[in-house]
Amino acid sequence: MDFSIALQIFLSGLNLGCIYTALGLGFFIVYNVTRVLNLAQGEFVMLGGMLTVSLYTAGTPLAAAIAISVVITSLVGAGIYRAVIYPARKAPGVTKVFLTLGCAFIIEGIALRVWGWEFRSLPAFFNTPTIKFWDATIFGQTPWVIGITLLMVIGLFLFFGRTIHGKALRACANEPLGAKTMGISIERMALFSFILAAGLGAVVGALITPLTMTSYSMGLPLTAKGLLAAFVGGITRAEGVILGGIIYGMIESITAGLIPGGYHGVIALAILIGILLIRRRGILVTAGKG
Amino acid sequence: MKDEIKQNNIPVLELNDITMRFGVLTVLNGVSFSVPEGNILVMIGPNGAGKSTLLKLISGLILPQKGDILYHGKRINGIAPDKITSLGITQLFQDIQLFSNMSVIENVMVGCHLRARTGLLSSGLRLPSGRVDERNMFDTAMTHLSMVGLEDKASSNPNSLSWGQQKLVGLARALATGSRLLLLDEPYSGLLTFEVNKLNNLILELKKKGITSLIVEHLTDILMGIADQVIVLDYGEKIADGTPSEVQKNKRVIEAYLGEQVTEE
Amino acid sequence: MPFNVRDMIEKTGRISSTNQQYLAAGMFTILIMTIPLGAGAYPNTVMIEVAFYSIVTMGLIMLTGFTGQISLGHAALFGCGAYVSAILTTRYLVPPWPALFLAAGFTGAIAYAVGRAMFRLHGLILAGVTLALNLLFYYLIGSISGLTGGAMGIMNIPPLSVAGYTSQSVLFNYYLLWTIAILLLIFSLNLADSRFGRALRSINTHAGGSEEAAQVLGVNIMKYKVWVFVLSAVYASIAGSVYAHYTRIIEPNTFMLQFSALVALMAIIGGRSSPWGAFLGAGLIVSIRQLLREFMPLIIGGPTGSYELIAYGVILVVALLFLPQGLFPIVKKAILRRKPVSQ
Repeated sequence: MDFSIALQIFLSGLNLGCIYTALGLGFFIVYNVTRVLNLAQGEFVMLGGMLTVSLYTAGTPLAAAIAISVVITSLVGAGIYRAVIYPARKAPGVTKVFLTLGCAFIIEGIALRVWGWEFRSLPAFFNTPTIKFWDATIFGQTPWVIGITLLMVIGLFLFFGRTIHGKALRACANEPLGAKTMGISIERMALFSFILAAGLGAVVGALITPLTMTSYSMGLPLTAKGLLAAFVGGITRAEGVILGGIIYGMIESITAGLIPGGYHGVIALAILIGILLIRRRGILVTAGKG
Repeated sequence: MKDEIKQNNIPVLELNDITMRFGVLTVLNGVSFSVPEGNILVMIGPNGAGKSTLLKLISGLILPQKGDILYHGKRINGIAPDKITSLGITQLFQDIQLFSNMSVIENVMVGCHLRARTGLLSSGLRLPSGRVDERNMFDTAMTHLSMVGLEDKASSNPNSLSWGQQKLVGLARALATGSRLLLLDEPYSGLLTFEVNKLNNLILELKKKGITSLIVEHLTDILMGIADQVIVLDYGEKIADGTPSEVQKNKRVIEAYLGEQVTEE
Repeated sequence: MPFNVRDMIEKTGRISSTNQQYLAAGMFTILIMTIPLGAGAYPNTVMIEVAFYSIVTMGLIMLTGFTGQISLGHAALFGCGAYVSAILTTRYLVPPWPALFLAAGFTGAIAYAVGRAMFRLHGLILAGVTLALNLLFYYLIGSISGLTGGAMGIMNIPPLSVAGYTSQSVLFNYYLLWTIAILLLIFSLNLADSRFGRALRSINTHAGGSEEAAQVLGVNIMKYKVWVFVLSAVYASIAGSVYAHYTRIIEPNTFMLQFSALVALMAIIGGRSSPWGAFLGAGLIVSIRQLLREFMPLIIGGPTGSYELIAYGVILVVALLFLPQGLFPIVKKAILRRKPVSQ
């Protein structure tokens, strides 16, 4: 195979992989602190994109637009927790998952009302639609995607591993009762996890808008894909989510490159679902509490 | 003692070198014994001695890590629990686990599950064959419920029954399967005296019909009277296997079991 | 002593006296069958939609009610029935009714295969997988455009005929749909009070069953979970096939995640404990949608789709927070209070 094609596929796969990883991390954070699958995660991504576009086209400089949209989306995340999840904290997990679904509907509806049906787009950061990298041509956005995802991952690792706050969050996930006796407020941690996941989602949204455009209805498919990627790698471990995301991205890129026609979405999904059905708890998770 | 064979039959149940470890805890260590058909076997031993685990191994809910379980000479390791029931083994749990989302008689009818083969279509379409099956299952269930004397509670919800009554319903449900080997996990716990006598008589009746009962229990005095065979487990090991009187004289048993009781007081 | 199990069961708080249920079904049938004679074409059209949703929801309720498992992918099953019927009748000129059966069989077979693999996953992952499978179906339909017409979909699907009589009239379709819906309701009610239904209830740990106890009584857990999933798939497929013949044009966007979520919403609101909940949930949601479509443009402008989405979300949240059992238990209590309970 041609080196440039292989490189292209690889980089494209990395690009997609980073997107799925970043999506998956949003689920990871919320799930591991609250045991809730946040089906509104995709909506956070959509909001991040939409808000950035609106602000930017209204004249705000790009960086500021992104920052503001992250803040707003984080507030939405906080709102979801406070208004919906917290009151239902004693309910079974399934109920909470459906509550997030309800929130996803509401957000989608509001987005439709505010922004209508059209797809919106952003220019690539640095205004470079494509870049030549070695022999391959990649989207100008790709370095940003990869770079920022990398920063995110490192940041999260440092946060969860080194800081008191991060350790507290992990404590909540692994040992809620113990965490409580240590004086950690689970509710605070849960709130924080929602805010963090929402903020991350918004960043992802801003990142991918130059590539895929945003529209009010992109939330649910993103949720489905991000969830799948996270589960395939193993949602209880960060390494798992990253692995799942990269695998998904790579498979999609490879199938897109090698198989003509628009089948790559289908095949990649099918392969991933297949993996999950075989390795039921995800690739990196061995038996134990899931 | 292991070689006791009734008439010319293979023992109904035989365990060979059963070992189970949960993490660092060895729950069962090389336990072996055999049970002649129609015996009432009582298994005693201090808490945590692995008795409940042993029952779950036999009924197929847990897989033995090492060792074999033979039913009528045939190895049943790894067979799914519902299949094992179809072979004739059923269990009554310590906490009974009646289905609270259906009436008492329906509970017992679940016990009749394997007696019919009414499937999805015949149930949904109310085909005549399905209706005949329903009637038969109902009759069988009522018969078993009457056996434990609770036919007037047929339409009640299980939660409205006393613990002793629930136990009896659980027993009726287990018997409705037609199993020839009963695994009873602490059936006497929580029963009032008259209920204990009722249960005793029932188990003896079952013995007359050739049904083998394997009873895990704490209350040794009551059971010494009806037991044919007693096995004592201590820390996952079998330390005695014989008739009640033999076991009562066994030094190790006295040390391990009765000795502990003395020090507890 | 009367054999009739149904006479025996008087107060269980859930599927109670089945004779009462049949009576209710009878009255319901009479009600449904007489409505269109008074109402105009528009309400009847809306009612047809309610019937479609009810059928799919009923299948979903049986799945969730009996096994506690959620599926967020029933749009794919609905769509599978629709597409298989459409393809068979347009390309291969198979008559509609046999095509419907074939579609149901096909969808059921797929559900069987998927179910066997899926039910070894635990609860929440299942939701994720069904969501992903729905997406997979959507992409698949879009890709194999040679067969499915891709994004354009399939057109000119022949209508259904009953005993040689074909009609495009609203009345005809109304009776057709509701007959099917009621027949399926009765099938579901029969199922609940049967060996199959008892086995299902016994393994439903969310509602008082016990998997362990069921197993030692001889109930094969996996088998029943898979079969009830297949059943819910067949219900959705039937609805899908009839839908294809009704609208005569199908395209991928109908079978997207929003539909799955909507049906799940109807199941939750209606009440997961009984097939009746399907009518309640579907009826309520469709009514609200109609109200919004009528009135929102007058009050505030904007695409009506947005208010529906918001309304659905709000209803779901409110229902889950305050009425987790759905509407059915409440309605049932209200009705039973009027009738003296026979002891």
